[in-house]
Amino acid sequence: MNSAHMSIPFRENSVKALGNATLRAAMKNATGVFTVKRADAVSSVPLEEWREEASQTRLKVLENLPHYVDEFESNARRAGASVHRAAGSQEARETVSSILRDRGIAKVVKSKSMVSEEIHLNSHLEQNGIAVVETDLGEYIIQIAGEHPSHIIVPAIHKDRRQVGALFAEKLACKYTDDPTVLTAIAKQVLRQEFVSARAGISGANFAVADSGTIVLFTNEGNGRMCTSLPELHIAVLSIEKMVPTLADLPKFIRLLPRSATGQLITSYMSLITGTRRPGESTGAKELHIVLLDNGRSTIVNGEYREMLKCIRCGACLNACPVYRMVGGHAYGSTYPGPMGIVLTTLLEGMNRAHPLLDATTLCGACGEVCPVKVPLPQLLRRLREQRAEEGFTPRAEQAGMSGFGLVSRNPTVFRLGQTVARAFWPIAAALNPGAAIKRLPVPAGRTFQRRMS
Amino acid sequence: MTRDEIIERFIQNAANVAAEPVRVRNEEELNQALVDVLAGVDAVYCPAVTDREKAIVIPDHLRTDDYVNAAACVEEVFGAIAETGSLICSSQGGKIVQAGLLPPHHVAVVSAENIYESLDDFFSTLGETPPTNVTLETGPSRTADIELTLTIGVHGPGRLSIIVI
Repeated sequence: MNSAHMSIPFRENSVKALGNATLRAAMKNATGVFTVKRADAVSSVPLEEWREEASQTRLKVLENLPHYVDEFESNARRAGASVHRAAGSQEARETVSSILRDRGIAKVVKSKSMVSEEIHLNSHLEQNGIAVVETDLGEYIIQIAGEHPSHIIVPAIHKDRRQVGALFAEKLACKYTDDPTVLTAIAKQVLRQEFVSARAGISGANFAVADSGTIVLFTNEGNGRMCTSLPELHIAVLSIEKMVPTLADLPKFIRLLPRSATGQLITSYMSLITGTRRPGESTGAKELHIVLLDNGRSTIVNGEYREMLKCIRCGACLNACPVYRMVGGHAYGSTYPGPMGIVLTTLLEGMNRAHPLLDATTLCGACGEVCPVKVPLPQLLRRLREQRAEEGFTPRAEQAGMSGFGLVSRNPTVFRLGQTVARAFWPIAAALNPGAAIKRLPVPAGRTFQRRMS
Repeated sequence: MTRDEIIERFIQNAANVAAEPVRVRNEEELNQALVDVLAGVDAVYCPAVTDREKAIVIPDHLRTDDYVNAAACVEEVFGAIAETGSLICSSQGGKIVQAGLLPPHHVAVVSAENIYESLDDFFSTLGETPPTNVTLETGPSRTADIELTLTIGVHGPGRLSIIVI
C-alpha cells in the first residue's frame, strides 16, 4: 500500500494498467459479462420503485445513525454477542488481535470482507503471529499471490485462468492446469482442511439489523457459512453504516444487492446470525464478537456527502464506469476502486492523498444510473472536484488556464477575438511543440458553431 | 396464489438455479424418492429432530453420525420461499445447520405447507428474536472467481436435491 502522506499516483498507475494487455482483456470480459447479467436481472422488475424504497430506508438510517447503532448493540448483546466500538482502523485491528491472542489462537479462517481490507487487518494479524487463511476463492487467489482485491465483489477479476494456474502450480505444488473447475477443486481441498481445524473465523457483514442484533452475510461459495458456524469463535468486523432498521426491511435489499452485483436473483447462501449458540441449539459460534468500525463515518454522515454512506457495496458502479473498465481496480491505489471508491476514499483518507483519483471519472453518469440505492455519485464526484479546486489541489497551470478562460468567456467580443487568435496561431504552436499535448487536441474549427447557427 | 401455484413456482425457481426439485404425495413416495436420489451413496447423515425425519427410512448400514465426512445429508428443512427458489435452514429446535453444508450432496425435504410465497412473507414472521442461525440456501454452492467461469460445488454441496411433500 502507498504511504499515507503521499497522494495516490493514479495517472502513473493507469498508464501502466493501460499497457497491460492481459489485464485489459480480463477487465473487458468481466465488466462486460456483469453489465449484461445485471441488465437482464433488472429488466422485468419494478426497479425504480425498488431503488426509491431502498434509498429511503438507507436515508432513514443515516438520518438517525447513532440511534440505530445503539439499538443494534443492545440487541446483539441481549443475544449473547460481545460488541466492541472502534473509532479508527488501529483500534479495530487491535481489538481483533487481542481477542485472538488472549485465547491463544494462531490461525483464523476468513470470509471476504472489504472493511477488513480498509483497516489492513490481515497484515496486522500476521505481524502479530496470527496466520490468516482467506477462504473466498478469489480472495484466496490474491492472498497467495500477495496482492490486494481489484474489485469489491470479484477480487481476482484482473487475473486470467493461465495466471491462476501458474500461481497454484507454484504455491500449492500441484500440476499446472488452467481449467477453472480443476483449480476450484484444488482450492476446495486445501481450504476444507482449514475449515474443519479452525478455532476462529472472521467475517464482515453485508447488513446489520438494529431491532434484532442480527448480522447478514451473502455468499455464493458457502465459505461465509463455514467461517461463521464451524469454529467456536466468530469475529465479525463491520462498519457502522451497514444498519437496517428491522428484519422486515431485508427483502428489498435481498432483491437489489445480488441482482446489481452478479445478476443473480439471490446468492446461493444468505445467513442471518443472531448472537451465540443457545441452550438446546447445535449451530452457531459459542463466542461472537462484533467490532463496529467508525473510521470517520460519524463525521461523514453529518456532512454534505452523507448519501455516500447509503452504498451497499454491490460493485455495479465499477462495472459501469468507463474508466474502471479500462484500468481495473489496482490503479486506484485504494481499498475501494471505481466511482464509489473515488468518493469514499477521498472522504476516508482526505483530499491530500486522494485528489488524483478525482481525474478518474468522465462524469458520464453511468454510475448513478445503475446504483441500486440511488447514491448520487455523479453529483458527489462533481462536488468533490469543486472542493479539490477550492482547496488548491489542481495544478497551477490548470488554475491559471481555467481562470483565464473564465475571464475571456464572460465577454463575447474578447471570446471571438480569442477564437480568431487560436485559429491563426494553432499551426505555429503545434509546429513549435512537436509531440506535445496540443497534437492530441482537436484543431479549432474554421467556422465556429455559433457563426454557423447565426 | 393458491397453495398449488406457490409450490409450482418454488419448484420452477429452484430448478432455475440448478437445484433438483421433485414433488411427492406421501411418505411412501418420499422414501422411494430418497432411494432414487441416494443411489450409490454409502454414508448418509440424517438427523432425527423433526417427526418427518424420524419417519424417513434409510437402511442402518448406509447411515453415519459424522456429518463432516458424510457423502450426503438428508434432512427436513424449516421451509422454503417460492419467489427465489430458496430453502430456509434454521437452527431452531436443535437443527445442525452446517450439516447441510459440508457433505457434497444435500437432500432437503420440504413440507408443502411451509413454503412461503415471497421473501416478505417469511421475513415478517421472524420478529425481533430469530434463531441463532437462519440460512437461505438457493441452489448448489457456486463460484465464478476465475474468469467468471461458473463452477458448481466449491465449499458447499455441488448437488442439491429437493423433495417437496
